[in-house]
Amino acid sequence: MEYVCLNHDIWFVIHLNMRVLFFAQLKDVTGCGSVELAPASSLSTEQLWTELLKQFPKLDAHRANVRLAKNWEYAAPDSRFTDADEVALIPPVSGG
Amino acid sequence: MEIEFQLASEPIAERIPPPPSLGKQGAWLEFRGVVRGEENGQAISTLEYEAYPEMAEREIRRLLQEISTRHPCLAAKVIHRIGAIPVGETAIYVGVASPHRGEAIALLAEFMDRLKQDVPIWKRRGIVAAVCDHRGSGQTSKIGAHRAPLQLDEAISEIKSHCQPLPAVRVPLAEAFGRVLRETVCAPDDMPPFDRSTRDGYAILQGDASEIYQVVDTLHAADWKPRQLKTGEAVRVATGSALPCENLRVVMQENIERTGDQICVVKREAARNVSARGEDLRAGEPLLQAGAKLDAGALALLATAGNARPLVSPRLRICHFTTGDEIIPPDQKPKPGQIRDSNSFLIRGLLQRFPCELTQKHLPENFEAAKRDISAFRFPLSAFDLILVSGGASVGEKDFTRPLLEWLGFEIVFSQISVRPGRPLIFGMRPAREDARPTIAFGLPGNPLSHFVCFHLFVATALAKLIGAEPNQFRRGRLAAKLDDASNPRETLWPARWDPAGLHPLKWASSGDVTCLAQTNALIRVPANRGSIESGAEVDFLPT
Repeated sequence: MEYVCLNHDIWFVIHLNMRVLFFAQLKDVTGCGSVELAPASSLSTEQLWTELLKQFPKLDAHRANVRLAKNWEYAAPDSRFTDADEVALIPPVSGG
Repeated sequence: MEIEFQLASEPIAERIPPPPSLGKQGAWLEFRGVVRGEENGQAISTLEYEAYPEMAEREIRRLLQEISTRHPCLAAKVIHRIGAIPVGETAIYVGVASPHRGEAIALLAEFMDRLKQDVPIWKRRGIVAAVCDHRGSGQTSKIGAHRAPLQLDEAISEIKSHCQPLPAVRVPLAEAFGRVLRETVCAPDDMPPFDRSTRDGYAILQGDASEIYQVVDTLHAADWKPRQLKTGEAVRVATGSALPCENLRVVMQENIERTGDQICVVKREAARNVSARGEDLRAGEPLLQAGAKLDAGALALLATAGNARPLVSPRLRICHFTTGDEIIPPDQKPKPGQIRDSNSFLIRGLLQRFPCELTQKHLPENFEAAKRDISAFRFPLSAFDLILVSGGASVGEKDFTRPLLEWLGFEIVFSQISVRPGRPLIFGMRPAREDARPTIAFGLPGNPLSHFVCFHLFVATALAKLIGAEPNQFRRGRLAAKLDDASNPRETLWPARWDPAGLHPLKWASSGDVTCLAQTNALIRVPANRGSIESGAEVDFLPT
């Protein structure tokens, strides 16, 4: 938790952590719908996975089939992820 | 191109009107995907879908835009249902309008293929379960403007009568901790579901006194190999093994001698060493009653019973405004006249026992500036179930909680209570509107001790009602030391430390006293005009 001073009058108490969402079977794997990471700086795809696997080693088995999304769009392989981003792990979809 | 997208948790209408034709439209093609009675080779009654709503909408719009560059499209309407969908009902509806039928057919075919590759919607699992929903009645009661300060019990009953349980939701078990169960859950099967060995050894028929037994099979813990044993037959079993038939006993492996495929029992014991089917619970017996708080043990029980998505109270959405120009963040050094904000952390901590999403914001102590800030707030206030305002509840010149709540559309139910500390407590209510659930609001007096008392007496009662739990009740306890107080015309809630020896009243000088809070785990109820109470006396208290 951090205080953010917007001007002299107003400050927010907000989470300045990166939120990573899990869906479908990944919720079963991680046991939760989301996790917060507090990266010191922006993360590459590889670094993000390293962070996630530290907490949820079982995700490794799904990694090959999971696409990353950043701010509601599929992320490019060279994307960087910051604490301002909403990140989601998208397992193979099955809508319709 | 006109695109309409909707995620629906209710059934999709039987008839969907086509978009208005502007003269160019030659085809309006509709498609409905319905839930089959079979998923992955298993018969199901219901299929559950999940979506990542924000991204699903973006992807669907992106796909339609992209495909329409190849197959011209004038309008499209997509509705995907989420949640539990019974077999035979529509999971997805797509309607596309094009100048010609060929374009519409090609567009629809490609869209459905791409949707199944890219749009973040998932079939979660097939369900074969009955659904029982205890929704809140949502009735509203008449709001009266009380002028005289309310007594404690009157204030609590006002709050109870204005707060109704919020509609229940189904959530994955992993998100259910701390929520209130809103349906009675029964055992789906006998528990254990089969006669189970409690020892490593050999299963034989009850009453079979043979000299020698032929070992006819070996069972591991997860094996399921039913067979009817005959006299003189034995099956090797492990602890936890499902026994092959009923009416067996297990002879511990220490009590036999084995030669090849034959065993001989060297010591016969009375113990059967079998945990019988249904011994813990019979199918249909209630496991947990509606209203139960889901703690770790309750979650383990639901998991065992296969209830992966219990019907529970929703997470409460709470907004906490702090006011007061003298308030500074705790990492800053106060200048003369300033104090560090403790109420934000007090409230944040007190709310831990209620699953909720908390948004906190500081408001300037100028009514116009505060209104501007709230107008620019990124969440509409209708998005909250509860609004808490700290400070500004007495009637000093700068105090504006009451006008602020009125400006926000709240009706003030009461604004003063005859309780020490915490007299200037405001309770308001914004009735349900067509686009929003009802919201309740509390204006809490600014002092930390008043905050603490008002939270436990009033806010916690309201929250308990909203989630469908039983509010915390006063209990009887014995004073372990004298409570030294001058007689006061108001009822007093006295901070105390409660341990096996009894209640130890704590020292507090004023309602601003924060030092005693770190010790407090109970509030003693001192009746009006009572004064001191001797050690050993019985008193009412509220555990905190």
